[in-house]
Amino acid sequence: MSYDFDWSVLWTGQSGSWLIQGVLTTLHIFALGLLIALALGIVAGALRTVPIAPLRWLASGYVEFFRNVPLLVWMFFWYFGVPPFLPRAIQDWLFDHGVEFWAGVCALGVYHGARFAEVIRAGIQSIPKTQLEASLSTGLTVAQAYRLIIVPIALRLIIPPATNETVNLLKNSSVALTIGVAELTFQTRQIETYTARAFEALAAGTILYLILCLTIASIMAYIERRVAIPGMIAQGQTGAS
Amino acid sequence: MKRSIGFVVGAFFVLALTGPSRAQSTLEKIDKSGALTIGTRTGSPPFAFINRNNEWVGFAIDLVEQAILPALNKKLNKQIKLEKKESAPATRIPLLTSNAVDLIAETMTDTQSRREQVDFSLTFFVTGAQFLVRKGSPVKNIESIAGKRIAAQQGSTNAKIIREKVPSARLVEFPDQPAGFQALSQRQVDAYTNDGIQLAGLKAKAPKPEEWAIVGEFFSYEPYGMAMRKNDSDFRQVVNVGLMDAISSGRYAEIYEKWFGAKGEVPYPLTPENKRFLQLQVVPK
Repeated sequence: MSYDFDWSVLWTGQSGSWLIQGVLTTLHIFALGLLIALALGIVAGALRTVPIAPLRWLASGYVEFFRNVPLLVWMFFWYFGVPPFLPRAIQDWLFDHGVEFWAGVCALGVYHGARFAEVIRAGIQSIPKTQLEASLSTGLTVAQAYRLIIVPIALRLIIPPATNETVNLLKNSSVALTIGVAELTFQTRQIETYTARAFEALAAGTILYLILCLTIASIMAYIERRVAIPGMIAQGQTGAS
Repeated sequence: MKRSIGFVVGAFFVLALTGPSRAQSTLEKIDKSGALTIGTRTGSPPFAFINRNNEWVGFAIDLVEQAILPALNKKLNKQIKLEKKESAPATRIPLLTSNAVDLIAETMTDTQSRREQVDFSLTFFVTGAQFLVRKGSPVKNIESIAGKRIAAQQGSTNAKIIREKVPSARLVEFPDQPAGFQALSQRQVDAYTNDGIQLAGLKAKAPKPEEWAIVGEFFSYEPYGMAMRKNDSDFRQVVNVGLMDAISSGRYAEIYEKWFGAKGEVPYPLTPENKRFLQLQVVPK
């Protein structure tokens, strides 16, 4: 079966502005989701390794609970599950101010926070234990040692897996269309609705996601080069044994 | 640069679309495989849905089984089986063009822009967009939705019309009916818009049907047709003859009564105008 491609549907009519709006919304939800995910991930990842048991349990509970439930369920949870518990006035205010967007941000941020936590835990655990012991012996408290020594080193070590997670977060933002967020995938479907040109719309979405993800990967690679501690990854580990 | 990317992606999809065999007519394909594959919905009562007994049934499926299959059997002179696959607004045209299904039999509105991609059978059901609201809601029709939060189905013609006619309405689009209805019942939106018959289906299935009202004149015209691959008039002829025979023999009316009659899944009497419209589509033998 042959199919006649008509790429002009992507820039005639409103398609172009929809795609741009879609990219902007995707970037917006991605940026806010990433902020929450990083904040939660760093805290929970660090707490999972501290020598204080209740804090470790708390962090493990968060990670296991949020990581092991599908993102789609979290989207519905934040959109349909949370608002009914809020006072009526706050509900109305939320419903008038794009609750679907903020529900999407929470779902992405909290879910990916749990995944980031594991990446950060792995980073911290790859740092020789002697580092922590040495920093404690200089008179730092555990909190100071984590804040000044352990977490800054761990964040450098985890850049490659964190790139993975970041790209995943961007792509997973498309799940927000199930609660009505008009992000990039939503807009490609919209173009399909108006033009009945599914393949062109899908191809445009594919290329835009590819560009966005490649941009993230190259930014992360740049950061990795900039903040690298010379010899850290290779020598740090041999030094441990 | 833009052109070369377009070309690469185009080539990719063309490869994906071009099967090993050369263009083969749908009738040849059905004759060879012995099966007619339709794309239909799982959550659009009463047109096509999974019922309480976990059976995939509905008005559109009955029409295919009792009107189109007999016509195919007669044309090909053998018993043709029916196979069903799930389709959705975003996937139904690609399903057809990629040969995954031969016929889309669900709640697909026949439109001019869709006719550039696929061919349609004659119209087998007529409806139009309305609003589902909580009883006593200030939303009465399309004139009273300015500034209100309105839920619609993604990829529907209704969302398109609201966006054009009432840009001040806050439109939230959900991929499926249950999510839109959930948003309405939690008061996250003031009204849910869809084709009148689908709203009637939702209302009938709601836990407390008496709490809900379907309001407003039809603000769009939604003629449902069955879609098939473009430029395959032999197959389209069989489909249309099947539908015409069903309408003139009274078979259509029986199936209609089963699903939309007083005892049906969603009571929705056939108006005299719609009955006349269906009959006028039947051309002489």
